[in-house]
Amino acid sequence: MSATATRPETSYLLRKLHSLSGIVPVGAFLAEHFWSNSSVLVSGPKYDETSQGLQTIPFRLFVEWAFIFLPILFHGGYGIYIWLRGESNVTQYPWMKNWLYTFQRYTGLVAFVYIGWHVYTQRWLTHGMSTYSEVAQQMRNPWAFGFMVVGVVATSFHLGVGIWNFLCKWGLAATVRAQRAAGQLGAVVGIVFSFVGILIVVSFRYNWHPFASYLTQK
Amino acid sequence: MAEGKQVIVKVKRQASPKDAARWEEFALPWRPSMNVIICLRDIAEHPVTREGKQTNPVSYDSNCLEEVCGSCAMVINGKARMACSALVDQLEQPIRIEPLSKFPVIRDLTVDRQFMFDSLKRVKAWIPIDGTYNLGEGPRVSPEVQEKAYPLSRCITCGNCLEVCPQVNENNNFMGAAIFSQVRLFNMHPTGAMHAKERIEAVMGDGGIEDCANAQNCVKACPKEIPLTESLAEINRQAWKQALFGWLVG
Repeated sequence: MSATATRPETSYLLRKLHSLSGIVPVGAFLAEHFWSNSSVLVSGPKYDETSQGLQTIPFRLFVEWAFIFLPILFHGGYGIYIWLRGESNVTQYPWMKNWLYTFQRYTGLVAFVYIGWHVYTQRWLTHGMSTYSEVAQQMRNPWAFGFMVVGVVATSFHLGVGIWNFLCKWGLAATVRAQRAAGQLGAVVGIVFSFVGILIVVSFRYNWHPFASYLTQK
Repeated sequence: MAEGKQVIVKVKRQASPKDAARWEEFALPWRPSMNVIICLRDIAEHPVTREGKQTNPVSYDSNCLEEVCGSCAMVINGKARMACSALVDQLEQPIRIEPLSKFPVIRDLTVDRQFMFDSLKRVKAWIPIDGTYNLGEGPRVSPEVQEKAYPLSRCITCGNCLEVCPQVNENNNFMGAAIFSQVRLFNMHPTGAMHAKERIEAVMGDGGIEDCANAQNCVKACPKEIPLTESLAEINRQAWKQALFGWLVG
């Protein structure tokens, strides 16, 4: 063995980084984002309070670029490169995991476009100080509302399948049994995220706050 | 045969690597327990198409006729499988027979699987035991390892796992599931483990393990029921550990 023998190629490292970035930080940010936005389920002012807290964190621009924007750009951009190197054959072999392979590519693209629009309208146009009334205003447009639902579901699906992929592809779920369990975990994450995401979007559109009673409880 | 029951077979033919492909249809007399290889043999005995046109025998690879040699993999009715175990009575007619699409066609159904053999060389899928002196007995292999290794050792390099893989195509050099399963097999062996790092280094190169995208078609198509997805996961783990800790702690 030479001294350089264990040095992997750049393509290997990029591909591993792509896989990892989908979980941390992108997946982790999605979880944080849904958690924070769930404040709207309590009330509009509660949502404004939570988002103001996030909008005024120290080193905000650095945190946004390093942990959100750049990782998403890399994950999406490199993901498209991966897509182009594969050739889906799901019509010839219509097996469930082969469908997931194909769906993972399309939901990724939908999520990427959706996130671009979402960041442009709710981060860029609002100068990073988006409020409950601005989001609620946007959600009154049925097209924006529809796109938001599609985006939330595509993103959640992509994360769910991605968790399964990640656990298999890092050998953390190596046996058939472990891979089945990883798939079930991914399914639960996908379904829960879709459900919570849709609740949040519906809450904005219909001014509906199911946990409003929390504010009056003593 | 007097009752005249027929088997209709369509074969995708190609006279040479440079010629265009064309289909020929044959009507063969049905016999009990026919498989696709028998059909191709019957065509060779009487190479006349259904329309009565004289043609030449179909070129194809086959040897053992019992799913052990790995040479007769073809695309039969759109699915990659071994022709010897493709029973006519279980196939929809007309039976469409095509060469594997992921390998260069030499003639008709004969393809060149050199890519797989080259990949096996690349990953050093063997255990070096030859030397200038007697190396003595190797270490013992525990029954536990034997039980895991045996299924992996059944690989017949047929190429079905490459054929069904969406990641194996002209856009990249992905070596395919069978190769990584062999890396696992030889890394598992106590003597083979002495070269484990070299094998893992090879799978972190171009066309290596990172191109696996977990479509998991390979394990469905494998005629030997090798746990290929487990092998891929295992080699993935060995690879990132070596990439990370090889750099961190040597």
